[in-house]
Amino acid sequence: MIFLTSSLLVLLAGAVLAVLLARHGRAGLMVSLVAMVLGSAGYVAAAVGRWIDTAAPPQRLIWPLPLGAPTLTIDYLSAWFLLTLGLLSAVVAVYSWSYFSVETRSTRATASVGAVLCLLVASMGVLLCAGDVILFLVGWEMTSLAAFFLVGFHDEDPAARHGAWTYLIATHLSSALFLVPMFALLVAVGGWSFAGIGAALGVQDSTVRVLIFALGLAGFGVKAGFMPVHVWLPLAHPVAPTPVSALLSGVVVKIGIYGLLRLLMLLGPLPGSCGTAMIVLGAVSGVLGVLYALAQHDIKRLLAYHTVENIGIIGIGIGVGMLGQTTGHPLVALLGYSGALLHVLNHALFKGLLFLSAGAVIHATGTGQIDRLGGLAKKTPLNALLFLLAAVAICGLPPLNGFISEWLIYGGLLGGTIRLPRALPGVAVVGLAGLALMGGLALACFAKVFSVVFLGSPREALTAHATPRLMLGSMSALAVLCLLIGLAPSVATDLIAPGAAAFVVTPYSTSAASTFDAILAPAGHLSALLALLLALVIILLLVRHLMIRGQIVITAASGRAGTWGCGYPALTPRIQYTASSFAWSLIRSFRRLLWPHKHLVVPAGAFPSGDIRAELSTHTNDIAQTDIFSPFFKGAAQLAAMIRTVSLSGHVPTHADAAIGEDRGPFRTGWYSLLSAVRRGSIQVCVVYVAATLVLVFMVETAWQPRSGGALVERTAPAISMSADPSQPTARPTATRGADELNHVLPGATRP
Amino acid sequence: MNLLAMTIHLPVPGVAAVVTAQVLGVLLLPPLLMSVIAKTKAWFGGRDGPPWLQPYFDLLKLFRKGAVYSHTTTWVFRAGPIVSLAALLTATTMIPVLGPNSWLGFKGDLILVAYLFALGRMFTVLAAMDTGSAFEGMGSAREVTFATMSEPALFLCLAVLAISTGNLQLDDMLGTNLAGAWHSVGPAMLLVVGALFIILLTECSRIPVDDPLTHLELTMIHEVMVLDHSGPDFAYITYGAALKFTLLGSLLVHAAMPQVAWVGLPGALLWLAALMALALLVGIIESTMARLRLNRVSLLLAGATVLSGLAVLLVLFNKLA
Repeated sequence: MIFLTSSLLVLLAGAVLAVLLARHGRAGLMVSLVAMVLGSAGYVAAAVGRWIDTAAPPQRLIWPLPLGAPTLTIDYLSAWFLLTLGLLSAVVAVYSWSYFSVETRSTRATASVGAVLCLLVASMGVLLCAGDVILFLVGWEMTSLAAFFLVGFHDEDPAARHGAWTYLIATHLSSALFLVPMFALLVAVGGWSFAGIGAALGVQDSTVRVLIFALGLAGFGVKAGFMPVHVWLPLAHPVAPTPVSALLSGVVVKIGIYGLLRLLMLLGPLPGSCGTAMIVLGAVSGVLGVLYALAQHDIKRLLAYHTVENIGIIGIGIGVGMLGQTTGHPLVALLGYSGALLHVLNHALFKGLLFLSAGAVIHATGTGQIDRLGGLAKKTPLNALLFLLAAVAICGLPPLNGFISEWLIYGGLLGGTIRLPRALPGVAVVGLAGLALMGGLALACFAKVFSVVFLGSPREALTAHATPRLMLGSMSALAVLCLLIGLAPSVATDLIAPGAAAFVVTPYSTSAASTFDAILAPAGHLSALLALLLALVIILLLVRHLMIRGQIVITAASGRAGTWGCGYPALTPRIQYTASSFAWSLIRSFRRLLWPHKHLVVPAGAFPSGDIRAELSTHTNDIAQTDIFSPFFKGAAQLAAMIRTVSLSGHVPTHADAAIGEDRGPFRTGWYSLLSAVRRGSIQVCVVYVAATLVLVFMVETAWQPRSGGALVERTAPAISMSADPSQPTARPTATRGADELNHVLPGATRP
Repeated sequence: MNLLAMTIHLPVPGVAAVVTAQVLGVLLLPPLLMSVIAKTKAWFGGRDGPPWLQPYFDLLKLFRKGAVYSHTTTWVFRAGPIVSLAALLTATTMIPVLGPNSWLGFKGDLILVAYLFALGRMFTVLAAMDTGSAFEGMGSAREVTFATMSEPALFLCLAVLAISTGNLQLDDMLGTNLAGAWHSVGPAMLLVVGALFIILLTECSRIPVDDPLTHLELTMIHEVMVLDHSGPDFAYITYGAALKFTLLGSLLVHAAMPQVAWVGLPGALLWLAALMALALLVGIIESTMARLRLNRVSLLLAGATVLSGLAVLLVLFNKLA
């Protein structure tokens, strides 16, 4: 715990120092990044401390607020996310130094980016360890704001501004519409601390708990990026500076998953429909996410859509866990939750690596357009290797870490098909088919990206700079972690088991621990077989080496051996398959889901004129954006314009409107002149307006007061009505339990 | 964790000689099955066909040759055949081939097997794309398209086997363990066998999905991806393709023959005969059918997915009843 608080202090100090040193060259950036590395190391230490010292008491911050003392606690769930955050942000901090130090913008801008990075990491740490609602919401809001400023770093670019604003609006709409009502319900039920809420929710009606879950899923889902509320991801990720994209995709998005898991831990077992909804949502997000990724031409945008896919995989894991929890099958629940948790870390590692590696590609060539690149493996071999490792990992292929978490989730799904009662195995089968389809599509997508960007010949004459050593070093750390988890999965499953078990049994006893160890034991067999795989690779390599004995033919007529062109000698890089052509056969198979646009210009006639060049471009719109959100926000903007001008036309009144027009009577003219005065900023009119509104509010307030009968009852009214409302179909009509509940909500309400 | 607790299924005498015989038998088998297919096709064509041991001679010949590497390629091209074959060999340890048990099976190995196939495919595709050839790009694009569509069908088939045996270890999900399922939900098992057969034809690039003997690069899938490999690399690829046929064929055969509980040599001979019969069937199909148009293949694979989905429904309803 001492590590956590000192990390937070170091990060805050780093942020303040960075701002103070902003005028002194790169010192500000340096200081903040060092603070970020130290803070991240502290997070990792604090998380590891959880597994070493299992009986650490919750730490209380001595800072009394009106709503109780904020509490910082680290349980196994927090510790796991804290570990994820610490590992990724330390690497990102090191990478950021070589990324931002070549940044052409002013040193003040880079210093402030360092400061905001520190704030982001600090606020996520606060959020993950928050033991009560207030601290959680403070962390949530600070994370959103810090991420907003980071996404908008290149604010001279309209796309960056658009991405940043979309992110801010999405996250705040989700907070306002779903999270605030949800937390209001939670607080009404069980007070401000999570422990109290958890205890109070246990005796609540299942309708209330399902309502809370639905609100939480919608609210946290926006942050996590489930379909169809993922729209901010593909807008914000590509425009953010690369280290920020890695952090966004690796950990900021996971904050939504953390919120959801924390909520599930408080809620306990939910009806089977919730788990079903979670699996279906996960499968839809995953399949659509990877299909959209397949259709992208920009490497960072493609990776952003893959985040949607991986969140879908995590969602399936959580759904399996929920079903196991509901039906009382610890095996299914444990495999589902531990798969989801491990995938959280794994995704942070390999997606962080992919973004950083893609950033190195953009750094080297100046473009992220996949179809313009090619042959980079020769110019930046180490970066190619790192990207390949991450690509193999994200496709869930052995022997890397992505396979381990997908293996756990598959195990949960297959276990679910065998053990779950009634129709629930069908749900597990849906998840299974979805996960298998995602696996195949992800393989297609990353085969496409890696081969088009790194293999073959360059498609355009782009200069490729070497990747800086610091970038390569920091990325290698992530690759090593990916390999480590892949080859020794039992280390990871040992760490996860207590966190995943917390959903199933509390407290975590030694007998439960041995049961779970038995369930996760095959993870140990995996490492033996993966070691066999590596051994076979080495053996086959040696055999080939011995067999060839140096008989490698590299002398053809031209002095070097070329690619076989079916006898055609004049091959050019332009005949290579591009990303678009590689993906087109799959996209066309799924055209009824994706509705891709194909734009084809064909020269016509026997002797086409020279100024028409044949060209073909494909483009795929995001359904959620074009069919749901764009119409919605356009409608909302129109409505706002109508309200703003108090006219049905949406026309903004100007000074010219303050005269009596031909089609306007004196009343409307007076109204228009008042509005235009307010809009033009005439202070005296504004003051009058404010005063008039205040008077109106006071009048309403005084008229309202006597009828509601006192502030105390008004505040507790919703909670009472929740338990005693006769219109609600409650399963527990007994008077004693209702009274108990009342007692809980309002201490001393029913004294014997 | 506890690596020593791994279940290694050995026959009762448990001597090294038996193990060696088993391993050698399984590893030497694949080219023979290719020979069966070739002989069948030759018989239909009214020819004698190549000698029975020709696939072995071909492999030896390739091993004695040097290799040509295009200057466009990188280490990925050279890694492709090795990683693919290593993945398949690893999968061999978890699939029962010439007996009822696998060598290194464990709970959950079916997922590892499916993903090892995918790993091999990934590296074959990358090696093909590394050459910068339009033909190999074409083959790769088709390969990933069809593999994507066969993947859900494969997993649904595995789900049926898992549900009907209540097990997550491949060798416990096949053979005699399926006897009860064949008895109670025979139709579902028939559907699974049908779907597995379509998956086998797709994954092993046989007619009607792909024609391994065509001479036009434009129409090929697997063969066009390996155009630029030569020498030992090509030997690895050829052997790997045969091994993949053997492995998927073993899955199919063990799912289709639930009543046989023979062990030891008679069992091995019986499974060998079954695999050869499967190769004969594939040969007959290759001799009597034309290759499907490429845009029809996705319909075939959708058909396999529907078949296996139906099988899942049947098994689940049976479980409910």
